[in-house]
Amino acid sequence: MQTQATVGQYFNVYALSEQAITIEFGQEINEDTLQKVTAFNQLIIQNPFPGFYTTVPAYTTLTVFFDPLQVIQSDLPGTDCFDKVSAYLTGLKNNRQDILITHPGTITIPVCYDGLFGPDIEEVASHTKLTPQEVISLHSKAIYKVYMIGFVPGFAYLGGMAEALATPRRATPRNAVPAGSVGIAGMQTGVYPLETPGGWQIIGRTPLKMFNADRPQPALLKAGDQVVFKPIDKSEFDHLANNPNADKDH
Amino acid sequence: MRIRIIKPGIFTTVQDRGRQLYLSQAVPVSGCMDRLSGRMANLALGNDDNAAVIEFTYANAEFVAETDLLIAYAGDGAILSLAIGDIPAERPVFIPTGTVVKLKNDPLGSRTYLAIAGGWDVPEVLGSRSTYVTAAIGGLHGRQLQAGDELSSIEKLTPTSKRILTHLQSDTPNYTDWSLARQLLLPANRKTIRVVMGNESSWFDDSSMNDFLTTPYTLSLRSNRMGYHLEGAVINRTVKDELLSTAVTPGTVQVTNSGSMVLLMADCQTTGGYPRIAQVAAVDMPLCGQLKPGDKINFKEITCHEAEMLYIQHEKQLLQLANTVKEKFL
Repeated sequence: MQTQATVGQYFNVYALSEQAITIEFGQEINEDTLQKVTAFNQLIIQNPFPGFYTTVPAYTTLTVFFDPLQVIQSDLPGTDCFDKVSAYLTGLKNNRQDILITHPGTITIPVCYDGLFGPDIEEVASHTKLTPQEVISLHSKAIYKVYMIGFVPGFAYLGGMAEALATPRRATPRNAVPAGSVGIAGMQTGVYPLETPGGWQIIGRTPLKMFNADRPQPALLKAGDQVVFKPIDKSEFDHLANNPNADKDH
Repeated sequence: MRIRIIKPGIFTTVQDRGRQLYLSQAVPVSGCMDRLSGRMANLALGNDDNAAVIEFTYANAEFVAETDLLIAYAGDGAILSLAIGDIPAERPVFIPTGTVVKLKNDPLGSRTYLAIAGGWDVPEVLGSRSTYVTAAIGGLHGRQLQAGDELSSIEKLTPTSKRILTHLQSDTPNYTDWSLARQLLLPANRKTIRVVMGNESSWFDDSSMNDFLTTPYTLSLRSNRMGYHLEGAVINRTVKDELLSTAVTPGTVQVTNSGSMVLLMADCQTTGGYPRIAQVAAVDMPLCGQLKPGDKINFKEITCHEAEMLYIQHEKQLLQLANTVKEKFL
């Protein structure tokens, strides 16, 4: 599916380093800004300039990384790399107000909310004055948006969690949270892609690999994706965990 | 060519110039903490300057040549030493089979890079051979080196490396009568770090900004490949807004909520939510890669344009050096 998006007028450009320029598209986290970041990201990847490396989309910004040596030797107009790249980016924006963005559809992440995998579900239930079953139901009913990928490889910052589920982080972080753990921290929910220390309230686990360096796109999710969590039982978890192709369908 | 690690030392990993293309998936750049030394070691051998090298931190490491070797090293963490004496840095060195090489402490800095003709043969993961242990990718099995590990070189040599090998091959350790001069590419004062003001530098009060550019900051013990915690004058904020997480990069200096600073290094995360007071000029990152806990540094402001010009000049000097080595062996 494709829709029309516009980059909009707010377009604030600054240097992050001599090898990166950041464009700010707004000052608040919302779907409109997310769509502008996603649209311009697609535009720059389809229309790279000499020396272009890669981009980092974030809540309100898109950062463009490049090789200064190739940029300075290019015939882009401008006296230095910052001038050359920022003029190119501004030109891209001015010439292409309407961008077709491709929607990836909705990605379903199976989650086993069993107590074995979700040791904090009781704590979340008691904090939110819900039953564990209500916690699961609210968490798996919402449609989430991936605002950005950051923190550790493949970690998606999701928007759209029910406010009723908001629970503060654990008083004492764990030294090792298993990969695939699904957690809540304040108004946020997310999935740990790797085993790392962490303080989120863990309510379940997915058998999918959120990050796998052997895949062409190692991170399962990317900024702009829509995500839903689907409750599964322990036997389905085991089945999917033992199926090496489980995450390749996504 | 092949070596076996006898003593791995502290956090020894295989690195190259880093993993540039997966930042949007939050895969850090990684790569050598002191890129310049890593590249110098490769240049001295006529290697591609992105060839994989071994990064040693301090000394107390030891390896044995399981075949004849053509190596070069650079950096300030250690001096490579054989039973018959020290090996000079920044030049090609021939080492015969069976020789034991030890790393002796060099108090000047912290990291030393060992290159081998052809580059170390570890698989490329996501476009780089750099080790990133958090995700267990790159390098040798995605981890730091251990005693008993064997590392081989890629057999295909550049024409320059082949000529150097023919020139130095012998029954005893042997090296050229020249070396590269890394210090010519570094500023005289290695504890003054040039920075460009960050996008949120106006969020801090005048007296804090003055402290930032005039008082020394000490590298704390909480320092690793991800970043360095700095101790010194507290940086106070006037703007209390929360920064919405946005891209950061090695060299970004963040100010935490307690007013202390963190200088992000090679394995840093790709996004961060702390205001950015400054960005270290890329040409001074090799100096940062050699710092050790307790070292005091001062920050000096330059413009973004100056940082860019310094970078371009630096890259051109490195290209020139690569050509110089090539021409010596035509």
